[in-house]
Amino acid sequence: MKVPRRLPAEAALGVLAAVYLLPVIVMVYNGFKPYSEIMTDVLALPHSPTMGNFTAVWRDMDVPTLFFNNLVITAIGVAGIVAISSMAGYKLSRTRSRLSWALFLVFALPMLIPFQTIMITVLKLAKTLGLSNSVVGLGLQYWGFGVPLAVFIYHGFAKTIPRELDEASIIDGATQFQGFTKVVFPLMKPTTATIAVLDVMWIWNDYLLPLVMVNSHKSTRTLTLAVYSYFGQYVSNYGYAIAALVIAVAPSVIFFLLLQKWIVNGVVAGAVKG
Amino acid sequence: MIGKKHGWESGGNFALFVAPAAVCVFLAFYAPFLMNAYYAFTDWNGIQRAARFNGISNFVELATDADFLGSVVFTVKFAVLYIAITNFLAILVAVLLNHKLAIAGAVRAAIFVPYILSLVIVGFIWSFVLGPGFQSLAASTGWGFFKVDWLGDLRVVGLTVVLVSVWQSLGFYVLIYHAGLQAIPKETSEAALLDGAGPATKLFKVTLPMLGPSVTSCFFFSLAASIRVYDVIVSLTRGGPGRATSSVTFDIYTEAFSRNRYGYGTAKSLAVLLLVVILAVVQLRKMKSREVEA
Repeated sequence: MKVPRRLPAEAALGVLAAVYLLPVIVMVYNGFKPYSEIMTDVLALPHSPTMGNFTAVWRDMDVPTLFFNNLVITAIGVAGIVAISSMAGYKLSRTRSRLSWALFLVFALPMLIPFQTIMITVLKLAKTLGLSNSVVGLGLQYWGFGVPLAVFIYHGFAKTIPRELDEASIIDGATQFQGFTKVVFPLMKPTTATIAVLDVMWIWNDYLLPLVMVNSHKSTRTLTLAVYSYFGQYVSNYGYAIAALVIAVAPSVIFFLLLQKWIVNGVVAGAVKG
Repeated sequence: MIGKKHGWESGGNFALFVAPAAVCVFLAFYAPFLMNAYYAFTDWNGIQRAARFNGISNFVELATDADFLGSVVFTVKFAVLYIAITNFLAILVAVLLNHKLAIAGAVRAAIFVPYILSLVIVGFIWSFVLGPGFQSLAASTGWGFFKVDWLGDLRVVGLTVVLVSVWQSLGFYVLIYHAGLQAIPKETSEAALLDGAGPATKLFKVTLPMLGPSVTSCFFFSLAASIRVYDVIVSLTRGGPGRATSSVTFDIYTEAFSRNRYGYGTAKSLAVLLLVVILAVVQLRKMKSREVEA
């Protein structure tokens, strides 16, 4: 009985999403056309879809190395951001004092600074600390750049976890740090999933910071950097550029679809009921 | 209260939880920012080794710089429109997708895709859509909408930049509102239904107030994004026509890297930050105090 009522709604949403994404969809199906066809009519669907652009780009790019670099940078970055931001956001949210509020602002305000305006001194400092020209070093740098957003989100959502829970764990004899890792952090799973999704999408596809930090050696480059080199180099061959883009972006979109399920309702409510 | 005895609020614990993140954010933002701030008091051109100290003359010049003041005005207008449209649409979409629909996850992912396609690609896509795309649509439909010069007409180009920005970033805000909706305890909405609240009453009296933390976050994030708006402008209009869509970040970047006045550009970014910090602190204090605790 419910299915027929929902079907039109589902279809309508699907159509709206397709319209929203139309510019991107048009771009993507052009990746399946040979060069001459792109040039004659961009809007037309491919006459006979070909994987030619994809196989050419796959052979040309060193996909395994690029993919591995992306993986290392993103894993180090996201794990670190989640660990340190969940602690700080939770603690600042629980503590009611002037110092706590001031520190919260110290965490939030960097979001107002355009990266382009501090780029030069960021690179200088990274060189001094030995973090430039290194995949691991770049991953570590994301900790600092990701903290403001993550602390802000954890700070807001920590309020939805009842205080009684962390207080109860302390009475049971756990240290505060144990109480956090064993009780509070698992309860923040939906928030953590949200931040993981946002940060994976951001770090995996980031352009400017990798460009500044790891573009000088082939062995340290990322997928996104490789994609943009197509936009520069063969700017006339959009087919290659689009194919490279799809290869680079696809893993993060799949991750988005998988991890979204973890952002679910009812975890906290269930915990209170016991 | 129980806390005190067990060292709940002890300084040691506070430092243990907050220090790692604080150190990282200091190294990523504050240290480079302070190293950078020095140049605001020099005439450094970004290339030479030596920077000559010139006191506050950069700031004196800034007060009468028409380009800079114009970009401040554009950024304020942009911010008002962008914050309003983004948050309205994002809440609407998030609430719609919160119904148990099989396609919701895919739709959320679809809306998110533009957010990860930055600079070159967004510019490439929209210059194409608004140029040849609209031309052929105008020819086949004859609608005036497609005949407007969205990137060249001074009256609409600002709106174009706002709408493309909204298009690009909407998915980000939808995701945060989605998480916010998930954090509302089921009991609360069930209780509202038991009390006989209709869908509209439930939305305005229960859902929206309980979304407090997400609203605070999204307002702040959209304000921050407005101050930083740069990518969309570079790739779509290059600040034009004339200087019609020159945002503060675009103006600072042009000053520092195209006109080679790095010192003066830095002075501009310091001035902007000071203005915005005051605004943001006031806004955050107001909104945070309204959030409901579980």
